[in-house]
Amino acid sequence: MARRRTRGRKTSRRKRTRKTFPWFKLALVLLLLAGAYVVWLDIQVTSQFTGKRWSLPARVYARPLELYAGSELSPQLFAEELRALNYRPVSSVQQAGQYSRNRETFHVMTRPFTFWDGEESARNLRVTFSGKTVAQLADRNTGKAISLARLDPVLVGSFYPAHNEDRVLLQLKAVPVSLTDALIAIEDRGFYRHHGVAPMAILRALWVNLRAGGVVQGGSTLTQQLVKNFFLTSERSLVRKVNEAIMALLLELHYEKDEILEAYLNEVYLAQDGRRSINGFGLASYFYFDRPLAELSVDQYALLVGLVKGPSYYNPWRHPERARARRNLVLGVMADLQLISASEAARAKTQRLGVGSVGRKAINTFPAFLDLVRRQLQTDYRDEDITSEGLSIFTTLDPQVQWGLEQSLQGRLNELESARGVEPGKLEGAAVVTSVQGGEVLAVAGGRNPKFAGFNRALDARRQVGSLIKPAVYLTALEQPERYTLATLLDDSPLTWTARNGDVWEPGNYDKENHGEVPLYQALAHSYNISTARLGLELGVDTIVSTLHRLGVEQKLNPYPSLLLGAVEMSPFQVTRLYQTFASGGFVTPLRAITAVLAADKTPLQRYPLNVRAAIEPEYAHLVSTAMMYAVRQGTGQAIYHALPYERSVAGKTGTTDDLRDSWFAAFTGDRLGVVWIGRDDNQSTGLTGSTGALRVWRDLFVQFNDSATIQATAEEIEYHWIDPATGLLADAACLDAVQLPFVPGSAPQQHSPCARGRGALPAAVDWFQELFE
Amino acid sequence: MTLIKWYRAPILSAGLVLLIQGCSTPVHYPPRDTRLPPPVIEQSVPAPAPLPTPQVGMPQPVPVPPPVTKEQSPAVVALLGTAEQQANAGDLEAASASLERAIRIDPRNALLWHHLATVRLSQGDAPAAEQLAVKSNSLAPGNTVQQSRNWQLIARARRAQNNEKGAVVADQRARELAERQ
Repeated sequence: MARRRTRGRKTSRRKRTRKTFPWFKLALVLLLLAGAYVVWLDIQVTSQFTGKRWSLPARVYARPLELYAGSELSPQLFAEELRALNYRPVSSVQQAGQYSRNRETFHVMTRPFTFWDGEESARNLRVTFSGKTVAQLADRNTGKAISLARLDPVLVGSFYPAHNEDRVLLQLKAVPVSLTDALIAIEDRGFYRHHGVAPMAILRALWVNLRAGGVVQGGSTLTQQLVKNFFLTSERSLVRKVNEAIMALLLELHYEKDEILEAYLNEVYLAQDGRRSINGFGLASYFYFDRPLAELSVDQYALLVGLVKGPSYYNPWRHPERARARRNLVLGVMADLQLISASEAARAKTQRLGVGSVGRKAINTFPAFLDLVRRQLQTDYRDEDITSEGLSIFTTLDPQVQWGLEQSLQGRLNELESARGVEPGKLEGAAVVTSVQGGEVLAVAGGRNPKFAGFNRALDARRQVGSLIKPAVYLTALEQPERYTLATLLDDSPLTWTARNGDVWEPGNYDKENHGEVPLYQALAHSYNISTARLGLELGVDTIVSTLHRLGVEQKLNPYPSLLLGAVEMSPFQVTRLYQTFASGGFVTPLRAITAVLAADKTPLQRYPLNVRAAIEPEYAHLVSTAMMYAVRQGTGQAIYHALPYERSVAGKTGTTDDLRDSWFAAFTGDRLGVVWIGRDDNQSTGLTGSTGALRVWRDLFVQFNDSATIQATAEEIEYHWIDPATGLLADAACLDAVQLPFVPGSAPQQHSPCARGRGALPAAVDWFQELFE
Repeated sequence: MTLIKWYRAPILSAGLVLLIQGCSTPVHYPPRDTRLPPPVIEQSVPAPAPLPTPQVGMPQPVPVPPPVTKEQSPAVVALLGTAEQQANAGDLEAASASLERAIRIDPRNALLWHHLATVRLSQGDAPAAEQLAVKSNSLAPGNTVQQSRNWQLIARARRAQNNEKGAVVADQRARELAERQ
């Protein structure tokens, strides 16, 4: 009722107010709505633009190459490292990232780089080689010798976020002026004058395009383009155009021109690499030219700027002619605006496109190693931090060792298959190489195809280790010097062992023979199963298990007698952890793939420090290493010296499992430890022993190194005696087969062997130590 | 006196490199011995004499190859200097990084491991410091000076872990070794 009445009254007034009032109200509402909308856009613009603008993938770097006089490095490997870093060979070095070579002498201008411990500035170096060593290192500017210099590290991979956008962030002050000049000239000539939108620019663009007979300029400003990429979808509609214009105006209202330009330089889409999109000029420079933006020439800047219009249409690999025409057009505009001289433009136009090879765009060069890095990172970082926070991850990867390992594994597996008539591709392999004292992982092979990022056998293939376990048994014995020494005779006659439940165990030797009484060091060197099993049973399987845990084996181990002969499954990486303890002289040394992590702003975030834990007394580590040296000199590992020089000191152990399913070799020099496994994914027989398979891969790799360091220095409490291996007793000059063995003081045999007939003593090795110091 | 100065005076004697260990008192290191340091004898492990009689058959294995007497590389000396500066400026983490970099270049230099142990102790990680000092010992057979210093460090690390009994034993070892010099 009331309503009706009211309405009636209103109707009567309507005549007077109809013309003005509703329109005013509507306009007000619309204005308010529009205002609210603008405020909403404004919030969007400011919140997104001020906060973090991009998620940045983590970058993973190899170890930097350290240069110093006396370092072992051949000119050839040095040149390879420079190539991996995309340093360019020139006749005369002018700028960072260039080098020249005159036989043994290199001139190198290094790139500046921020490491965990600070910035390494660009240096103008002269590096002189002598054979396979760096003889001299000097600063070319001052002529003075330099004690130490670091190259920038090779980028070996990145961890990408889900949307696969990749970029290398640039700061405007680091962007060459020629590039921004060219960009503004082509894309938005009024950039520094307009307020975000430039109506006149559209008209001018029309005019320019007409004059040039094609589309040279677009009508939208850099700000509008940025807004479009940054906040909006790529749909073409009027609404979007309006939004774009409003947001562009807002952006200009809040931010300086330089901030907007910097954002543009980092945002613009410049290429597609498979699923990965290449955004920003920083990364585009690496993508197209394999080097940082600062090292490009003007024709290259022009090409990059030209690509903004259509990275796919002007793709310099697929459409080189279009790309060249576009580049030359940009150069022409630059000359017209007197950004470059006419002669400069003419010269630049004759340059080749100069893009790198397409094939080199594989994102992650060493997937197996990166897998290890990622796993080690995951204990400290969340996944989204790894892929979006722009971390710089410094690793221990040595590219030269990694390349060597990949070639050795692939080459040897091919060779083994063809020599043995195995179906090609059936054999698989995996390997880990570390530094002996620091436990740094230098290289990882997860399979024979090094680029395959799938199953990582180095970390995940857990296979029986066979005889690789034996050094732990012998160590346990040697740690009781009153009972066992390297000269103690072990019984290798047939053994039958009955478990409490009645199960019978009769281990046999690989050669199906029994060897009677053999000195302990030879039993290990020749990898005799029976004497090892008997020794292990004497010591107690539980004791061996606890030794293995002490040596760094983390997995649960069942104390079955078969453990003594290696019936336990481990990955190559786990085996490496075990052998690391032997190699480092008795210290459990965590295997590190990462040394440090930097945040996106290059501030130190975390370091992975070097730590060790004493696990074996040095003298026992020395005794067991000696036995492993005999394994390589005289035992199952002899084939090493078919290729390595005889004076090279190597200690190691072969491993072969039942039916020749697994072929293992674990061995170390004074510098590096390598563990190699060969087997088949279907766990069938490979037809290979540790010696005929894995050892060959190890040898192919280590023959490339010049590991001159001796195996862990002698422990203090050690004395040497000449021993007759036939009896394990003291020898003299009459014993022709005598060997010199180390003993813990007081543990050496007292009796002389029957061969010793008083023909004069062998040189006393016992007192060399005192003689030197008294 | 800076470390560098000390290291620039290596005295070659009887095939051994004698180095005088620098012993400044850096601000951020815990107090340590300030007496003039005795010479440190670098790694010196000679091989057992070879067989004098002509051998028949295969050559004898050489379990312990001849000693490598290497002069302290300038690179390592430079990094030690950097580490010392960093430690004195209170940046122990950077000092550790420099020492680890030096160890990468010369992994069996007992002195570097000793310094790393010292820095780790200053950082408050006594268990790690103790282990690193043990490692340094294992790389310095026959080098009683280095060993004595390591045992002093082990004693301090053990005290920091409230292991007084162990510390007394370590002190004792340090004294015995010092007396043998």
